[in-house]
Amino acid sequence: MNRTRRNVVGGASITVLAAAALGYEGWRHFAKHYPPTPYDDLLSLLSDREAAKKVGRAFLATNSGFVPAHAAAALRHRIGAQSLDSVLKDELTRGNLIEAGHWLLPQTLVGLCALAAKT
Amino acid sequence: MAFIDARQIPDGTELTPDLAIIGGGPAGIALALSLANTPIKMLLLESGGMEFDAATQALYAGEETGVRYIALDATRLRYLGGGTNHWGGWSRPLDRIDFERRDWLPFSGWPFPREDLEPYFARAQHLIEAGPFLYDKLAEGVLPGPLLPLGKGGLYNSFFQFSQWHGNPQHLPTAFGHRYAEQLKRLPNLQLMLHANVTGLRLAKDVRWLDHLDVATLSGRKFTVKPRHTVLACGGIENARLLLASNDVIAAGVGNQNDLVGRYFADHAIPRDNATLVLFGGEIAGYYKTTKDAQGAHFRATISPTEGFRRERQLLGALITVEQHVELDALGRAAVETASGALGIDASDSHAYSLGVGLELAPDPDRRLTLTDDRDALGMPRLKLNMTIADDDLTRYREVLNEFGRQLLASKAGMMRIDRHSRAEWLSVMDWGNHHLGTTRMHDDAKQGVVDANSQVHGLANLFVAGSSVFPTYSASNPTLNLVALTLRLADHLKGVFR
Repeated sequence: MNRTRRNVVGGASITVLAAAALGYEGWRHFAKHYPPTPYDDLLSLLSDREAAKKVGRAFLATNSGFVPAHAAAALRHRIGAQSLDSVLKDELTRGNLIEAGHWLLPQTLVGLCALAAKT
Repeated sequence: MAFIDARQIPDGTELTPDLAIIGGGPAGIALALSLANTPIKMLLLESGGMEFDAATQALYAGEETGVRYIALDATRLRYLGGGTNHWGGWSRPLDRIDFERRDWLPFSGWPFPREDLEPYFARAQHLIEAGPFLYDKLAEGVLPGPLLPLGKGGLYNSFFQFSQWHGNPQHLPTAFGHRYAEQLKRLPNLQLMLHANVTGLRLAKDVRWLDHLDVATLSGRKFTVKPRHTVLACGGIENARLLLASNDVIAAGVGNQNDLVGRYFADHAIPRDNATLVLFGGEIAGYYKTTKDAQGAHFRATISPTEGFRRERQLLGALITVEQHVELDALGRAAVETASGALGIDASDSHAYSLGVGLELAPDPDRRLTLTDDRDALGMPRLKLNMTIADDDLTRYREVLNEFGRQLLASKAGMMRIDRHSRAEWLSVMDWGNHHLGTTRMHDDAKQGVVDANSQVHGLANLFVAGSSVFPTYSASNPTLNLVALTLRLADHLKGVFR
């Protein structure tokens, strides 16, 4: 590699690294961050926590007896080692649906949403 | 033969046909057409003329109590063709379950199974001009767009077909009066009399035989008709009125020894905008939202509980229709995002629609027509309707919606919001089908029905009733196709009676 070529490769690498660093900072700056909660293992199953919070709040508006710690324990027990997809499929087969803001949703999904709304 | 104007009949005349048909709606006209070219001399008595007339229509006015219902003079039309002068052409045959006696549904069941009516559906379909008799078989052929993927479950894609009068430039539904007028005039064994109001069914002294009919015109003429047999075909409200008002021999009215005439009135409840359907992956096929043409039929899709699901969950008939495109609010968008995300579905092209439905009501003896002291221009007592709808009827439909929502999510096709909850909310969006059912119900036992399996009034050898007033249970299907089929069955029976 001659000197000129080494300079080009080096410059490009620096540019890529700088762009990556900027991108990371941008993501850190703009992306929503949530403080740690005791339920992060469950909340990480939600694809969009903000949307889930809205659904959860609608559910909680008509279900006042929701206790996050109890609900989380029940959800962990229900989900166990299964994927969320598998749990939902099972609930949909059994017809375990409840209303959140009048939307019919699988029970576990509504539980996760209510948990999100409480955090 | 040209139609006769009853206003030209001299007072005191007595006419003596073999068969009098009272009412020129779809039942009366179908009966006359199906008895064409038989030796039976028919006289069809129609109250109205060929067009709407306010004075004649006013004969229908009455009172309503209970749940808000359509005014009795607005829910029907009193001129030749009757209800087909304002129908939408919606057609669908009754299902097998609709004929069954169900232990969980009091007063349910016909005295014969659907198989007895099946031979008449094709001819009835021809008369209403709804194309080939396909209905649910449409799903087996080519359709302009995909069926809603419902997967396994209690609901399935079903179909309405629509009457289309091809002689009419706008292809409106077949209005029996105008559509069949020329054909009726050509029948050698029919006299059709317009402006002829039957005001009384007069029994012989032994009360086992209908002796004669009193007929009056709004112009003041009065005459009698003394037929061998009579078919009452005035519609689900007026059939009851005429029987109840003919109370000179039997105080309760003709055929009403067991206090059944006028009871069990029903219509199809149509709560508008009762739920919201979201489809995750694009627009629903156009034939769910409006009528389309395929396989020779003019049709529209509906979503209905299967017969098996209805039996298992003790549900009534419901025919869900997709109505309008709607925009979701923030919560709706969040619900779609949450559900589709959890199911691993891309919902970036989701669409939402409001849902309507036609609902069957459980038979209720207290949903009934009774006479009032008020009288119409011909001196006939007017009617009062006590309309009811049970909470159970609404609860049963909610279960149908729950299953619909479950199936949509399970098949990863979409989701559902139920938009009505309290009784007041349901009633606030309640419309009605203008289908008048059940007031002269059919049953083998005279204590449970006004007419027998042949539509003959119990205890009266020469009086029959045609139309949807004889339906003891009726599903959510629109009645015209079914009542025409039942009338054709009655015509076959009458041919035997006159033989």
